[in-house]
Formats: sequence, C-alpha cells, structure tokens
Amino acid sequence: MRGVILTCLFILASVTSPTTAQPVVGEKAPAFIGLTSSGDTINLEDLKGSYVVLEWTNHECPYVKKHYNSGNMQKTQEALTSQGAHWISVISSAPGKQGHVSASEATEIATKRGSYATSIVLDPSGEIGRAYRAKTTPQMVLIDPEGDILYQGAIDNKPSARISSLEGASNYLLTAWNEVRNGEQVSVRETKPYGCTIKYSDTQGYK
Amino acid sequence: MTFFSRLAVSLFVFFAGASAHAQELFEYKDSHSNVALYAEKTAANNEEPLWLAFRIEPKEGWHSYWKNYGDSGAAPILEWTLPEGVAIGEPLYGTPHRMPVGPLMNYGYEGASSLLLPLTIAENYTGNIIDVQLSAEWLVCEIECVPQVGEWSFSIPVGQAENINASIFAEARSMLPELSYWDATLSVSQNASELLVFVDESELEGLKSAYFYPESEGVALYADTQTWEVSGDGLRLRIPREGELEPTTGNGILELEFDDGRKTALELEPTLNSALSIAGTNNTPIQIDQSYDLPIWQAAMFAFFGGMILNLMPCVFPVLSLKAFALISANHKTTDGRRKEGWAYTFGIWISFMIIVAVLMILRAGGAAIGWGFQLQDPVFVGLLAILMVIVALSLGGMFNIGLGGAEGAGQTLTEKDGLKGAFFKGVLATLVATPCTAPLMAPAIGFALTQSILTVALVFSMLAFGLAAPFLALSYSETLARMMPRPGAWMEKVKQGLAFPMLLTAVWLIYIFDVQAGGIATMILLMGIIGIAFGLWLWQQTSGTVGRAISLIFIAGAAGYALYQASISSPAPTAVDESVYAYAPETVAELRAEGEPVFVYFTAEWCITCKVNEQVALNSSEVKDAFKNKGIKIVKGDWTNRNAEIAEVLAKYGRAGVPLYLFFPAGASEAKVLPEILTPSIVVEAL
Repeated sequence: MRGVILTCLFILASVTSPTTAQPVVGEKAPAFIGLTSSGDTINLEDLKGSYVVLEWTNHECPYVKKHYNSGNMQKTQEALTSQGAHWISVISSAPGKQGHVSASEATEIATKRGSYATSIVLDPSGEIGRAYRAKTTPQMVLIDPEGDILYQGAIDNKPSARISSLEGASNYLLTAWNEVRNGEQVSVRETKPYGCTIKYSDTQGYK
Repeated sequence: MTFFSRLAVSLFVFFAGASAHAQELFEYKDSHSNVALYAEKTAANNEEPLWLAFRIEPKEGWHSYWKNYGDSGAAPILEWTLPEGVAIGEPLYGTPHRMPVGPLMNYGYEGASSLLLPLTIAENYTGNIIDVQLSAEWLVCEIECVPQVGEWSFSIPVGQAENINASIFAEARSMLPELSYWDATLSVSQNASELLVFVDESELEGLKSAYFYPESEGVALYADTQTWEVSGDGLRLRIPREGELEPTTGNGILELEFDDGRKTALELEPTLNSALSIAGTNNTPIQIDQSYDLPIWQAAMFAFFGGMILNLMPCVFPVLSLKAFALISANHKTTDGRRKEGWAYTFGIWISFMIIVAVLMILRAGGAAIGWGFQLQDPVFVGLLAILMVIVALSLGGMFNIGLGGAEGAGQTLTEKDGLKGAFFKGVLATLVATPCTAPLMAPAIGFALTQSILTVALVFSMLAFGLAAPFLALSYSETLARMMPRPGAWMEKVKQGLAFPMLLTAVWLIYIFDVQAGGIATMILLMGIIGIAFGLWLWQQTSGTVGRAISLIFIAGAAGYALYQASISSPAPTAVDESVYAYAPETVAELRAEGEPVFVYFTAEWCITCKVNEQVALNSSEVKDAFKNKGIKIVKGDWTNRNAEIAEVLAKYGRAGVPLYLFFPAGASEAKVLPEILTPSIVVEAL
C-alpha cells in the first residue's frame, strides 16, 4: 500500500512543482514577517489600514547613494511618512556580500543618513526580496491599506547614479502617492527598476 | 559571421592596431574602466554620416551593459551638446553576453565594447568646425557596481574626409548583430513569450542553441532558460516571462550556435502581439492560461493516470467490484446497451467531481481559506462518509441480501437499479467513496490545479473523472475484454463478502478522524447512529407493510440525523499536550526565532496519509528525535485537521495548497529550509 501511495505521490509531485507568481499590481502584496533592526518582528498583515512603502536598499550601492546623499530619498520618505504611510527599508544582501549589515549597523546608517523610514527589515535570506521579485537597489513598492499593490518598480525615470540626474526626474513613487491622495487612479503602476543587483545568496534559485 | 571571419577580424585588428596608431577624439581613464571616442574619418561632411565609436574597456573581470541590462544594471548614458544643424543618432550596440549574477541575469560585455553613433550635419550647416560636448555615464560591475562618469569637449573639422581608425571600427562592427531578412512574430502572454522566426528548416540544420535578447522589458524572465524547436514554420523559441509590464517593442537579437562551431547573431524586428494589453487596460486580474508552466496536456495526462490509480484504492475497489459484477452478469444485454451504461457511469463520476470542485471554487471565491481535502475538515461530512462506508460494507457482506439483481439497502437501491440511472448513480457512489482516498492522496496536485484558470481546473478534474471511469468504459466497449471476464457464479458472492473488510477499515480510519475533529461523545453517538441505521435497514428488509417500512425509515433518518447534528455542534476534545511541541501560531515561531533558537515547523492533518506516514517513519523515529534533542531544536506543530486560516496562509506562502509542509529555521538565520514532502529519517537529520 505504501508503495502505491509513494508511486502516486511521485507522479503527482511532478505536477505540483510549486511556483509562486510575481506580485501583480492591483493584487495582494505577498505576506511576510520580517525581523527589524530594532529587534522586533513586523508582519505586513498587521499594517493593514495604513499605506506601506517597501524600499530595497544597500548603503554601498552608488544608485542608493545618489538618492540618499542628495537628500532625495529622505525627502520622499518624509512626504509619505508625515501623512501616515509606514515606510519599510528592506536589506536583502546576504551575509558576506555588499550591503549586508547587522541590526545595529543598519540603525546607525539610517541615523547617519537621516532616514525617515519607519522601520528597517533585515532580510539576509532574501526571502522577502524574492517574494517581491526585487532585483535592484533602489526598488520601490507601494501598498494600499487593503494590502494591495499600487505601484512597483524604480523610484524615478532617470537610471543614473549622478546626483545631477535628479533635476527634472519624475519620481514615480511620489507621483503615485499624490494621485492616490487625490483619489485618482495611479497612472504609472509598474516600471523597470534600475540600479545595483541585489546581493542575494547564490544557493537558492530566484523564484 | 563565421568563426573564421571572426578570427580574421581579430587578427586584422591585432596587426592594424600594432601598425597604425589610432587617432582618438579623447581618451580617459576612470577608476574601473578606460573609455575613448573615435571617429571613422578625419572630418565630417553632409554627404554621409560620420560614424563615432564610444569604446568602453572595463577592468579585467568587470563588465559593462547592453541597452537592456537584464535584471539589474544600467545602460550607458551619453548626453551630447551639439551646435544647431548637427545631430547624433541612436547608438548601435554589439551583441551582448549573458552574465549570471547570483540568481539574476545581466546582459552586457565582459571585454571591450563600442557604441557606434552616426553624426549627421544638415545641408545648411555653414561652420567649418563642429564643437561637441559629451557628458557620459557608464556603469561597470564585477559583483559590486561602480558608475563611471566623464565630460569632454572636442571639435571635429568639416570638409573632405579620409578614413582612419579602421581597426577600431572593424572590431566594433564585428560585434554588431547582422541585419536579418527573416520575418518573425513575438507573441507575449502572461507566462511566456513565443518568438516564431519564419525560416526554411534547411537554414537551421545543425542548430545547437538559440537565444533571444529582447530589447524591451516585459518580454523575458532573464534568468530562465529559453527553449527552442525547429518545425515546419521555422524556429520557435519559448521565453518564460511574468509580470504586467507591457513590452514596448518586439525587437531584439537572436543568437544561434551550430554544431560545427558557427555562431551568428541576428537583429530581428518581429511583429509584436501582446495578449497583455487586453488585460492591462483595466484593473481586472489577468486570466490568461496560467498553466503554461506545465503544458496543459501534461497536467491532464497526470490527472488521467491519477484517476486510473484511484481504482486500486482500498475504499474504491470494492465499490468498483459491484460494477464489474454487474457487467459480468449483464452479458445478455446488447453491446449498445452496455456502452450506454458505460457512459452513464462515466457521466455520474464526472458530475460528482464537478459538483465538488464547484463547491470548492465558490467557497474559495468567498474567501474561505481552504484547500483540497476541505471536505474532510468538516466532521459532518466525515461522519457521513463513515456511515456510507459501513453501509456499503454491510451490503457487500451480505447483510442486506444482495443478490446480483435484487438488492435492497440504501446505497444499493440507488446503484443496483437496472439501466442507465443505475449506472449513473454507481458513478456518483464511486466518487463519493473515493473521496477519502482522493483527498489526502491527490491534495498537492489538485491544490496546484485549483490555482489555475477555471478552464484548466475543469479540464484537470474531467480527466481525473475519466481516469476513474476508464476501466469500465473500456470494458463496456471492448468485446474482447468483456469475453475475458470470468463467468458469473457463486464465487462472486464470496469475493464481495471479502471486500467488505477494506471498506470497514476505511470506516475505522474515518471514525478516527471524526474523533479528533468532534471529540469522544460525538464519536460515541456516531457509532450508535451507525448501528441505528444498520438496524433500520435490517428492519426494512424484514417488513413489507407501509407501517413497518415507515418505522425503519424513521430509524434510519433519526439515527443519521442525530449523529450528524451532534457532529456539527461538537468541538474537538482537548488533546493531551506534548509539552515539548509548541502549537503553531505565527507569533510563536517569530518569538522562538527572535530568541535565536533553531525551530522545526511541521504542518499536518489527521486525514493526511502522507503526513502520518512521514511522522511514523521519520519524525517519530528515535534517530530524528535524538537529533532534535541534541541540537536543542524547538518543534512547532501546525494541525490543519480542522480549518485554519493562519496555516492556510503559511502553506500558500510556500506555494502549497495542502499539507504536509516541513520547515526548518536554523538558529539565527531567518531563512527557512523547506524539506521535501516525503521524509526519511536521513533526509530530516541531514537537513538539521
């Protein structure tokens, strides 16, 4: 009997290869429970009722530096968090790779940069990054109070590491935010992110 | 470009480079790369464009990027300041390489590469010199990335021109893809893009590999493998993709490699057909054949074989034997009649499956966190099945005096009726008794199917139904098979009596599940109910008058009704708590992990055979228990015997629609190791 069961299961196993799909704008954002730099756990589920921003970051990435050294990221963070959004900076660098930091280092960097992020989630396993198909730093996701994705992709339309590129750049996240606040549809819902590769551990596949 | 011509070019470049000194417009060394700008002629004029080459040479081991950089990176940015009447066109890029970075894929160049740019001047341009300013930014990466920047001013004379820098331009042009005269279409759907290149098969003889570099985002999942085949139409390339982003163009570079070492890169401009735009224009979720990952025919085939295997399950086989015996003893019927009955039987199975699936889909659409096996999460249904099993067993055992023609008894009145209706209800009965077997055994496959489009679900379940019905359908059609069946006789009674026992065993298993779900008192009442029903059926047999039959009916209905009512209001008995095992709650796991403990989480259900086998064979083995103990691993158990939204959510997170699921969180790390669905002690111990 067990033989039969196992045979069936092996046949079926080939049918089931679990694939998780890419997060889709307008649909539910992948659930996650993260460990924050302050030692707490944060559950996306618990943040229902407020807007949530996910920002993938790596403090050594030049594209991230552009947005922080110019104050552009902080300005964006302040604009959203001052109106009640919960901003989560996510660090998905694997241990030993660029951008990987301990909890205290993460806090220190955020303080030094004057970050307005509500919390910083450490994701050294890359689990959250993979669930969101995050590829680059910086990369942004905006989630509405019902837990659905409103926007995902690049922070702006200038794929450059130069601070001068910020002049005249269109900040997709701010645009989406203003549209939402005015009760409008988000006009640009998804863009191709640019920047440094997220330094995931190599041991696991991306999907 | 063949290998030899490429070699020739490289040699030419080498010698030319050695003999003629290149004349650059500027040369620049940045921290991780050298760049230079070359003109192909000594001067510009309005007869033809003057080609410029912006050559990037990254440090050894570093790379630069193609215009579509793949998953991450950045294309070079060149910003020109030119006098009026002078223009610089879009750059031409060489064929990129694939560069995997961890789990991602980048497109770019490991060695030196050039962007070729045409400079044109208008007829009415009067100056004799062109002052040019260039501000450039180009990214080079090894694993880390370093953007490089530079700004230069230089001038280009206008007038009669002589060719220079031939080697530089020969090198740059040798890297360009060839313009292709092949027609192509690029069809983009939710999970894949299909590139169809119309080309004669003879041109593709000896093809070893084919790869398409799309220019636009939204065409490909860069890190996934592209598969190709050569058919009558030409070359068909399947490119996995995902997401909502609409491609802006179908253009790209097709790279072909042949057995004899030939390698060509072709610039294709396929017609772009996107199935996304229809879905993308409004906010409705996209519902385009989501099962593309597993070809639909393959899923259907698996379901069909799964259905056939179900025929051998201990709970189904006895019921099928009834059908078989009916066939054997129905030799007097015409072939036509038998075929009709075969189809009626198939139809009965199919309808039952469709009803179960429809209920499941409706419940899921209503937001209920359930997966396949949901039927067994309801004690009322489990109790009903247990009753059904006992009744079938008793009738098989002969208590209800089943002659092959005139059976009495509840299930039998339905199934033994002559003709099509009888065959139909036999199909329904087969599906019903098959449920306890399908649920645990088929849960993963069915769970997967349920995430697909409604059409796919219907197809998969239809094939499952056909698989279950197949043996008898075949029997009803084939004269040869029918003739091979043994002659009817007294032996059939004996076989049937013997088959009552597996049915009773199934009932015992169901009662065990029922006990876990509804508690001891409800179980006792269920057992009493079963005996009451059996008594009522027996009474039915003994009496023939209206009054007697009415009394027996009251017995049957009352016993069943009371037992099931009791089931619906009961809650599980508090189980003896194993101190060392934590009950699952997301917070519990998070807390243990935050304390830096290694945690093993497993999700199980009483009705899940695989889970129980795994627990017996692996988790409860002394080998594994010792390993847990020695390593101080905390054990968390999630029990999905009854419905539980939190557990359903975790299962979904790991791409499962049902139990089992085994997760191990090593101390400190937040990365869960997912163990396979079938465990042995060594698999578990090695994972820890």
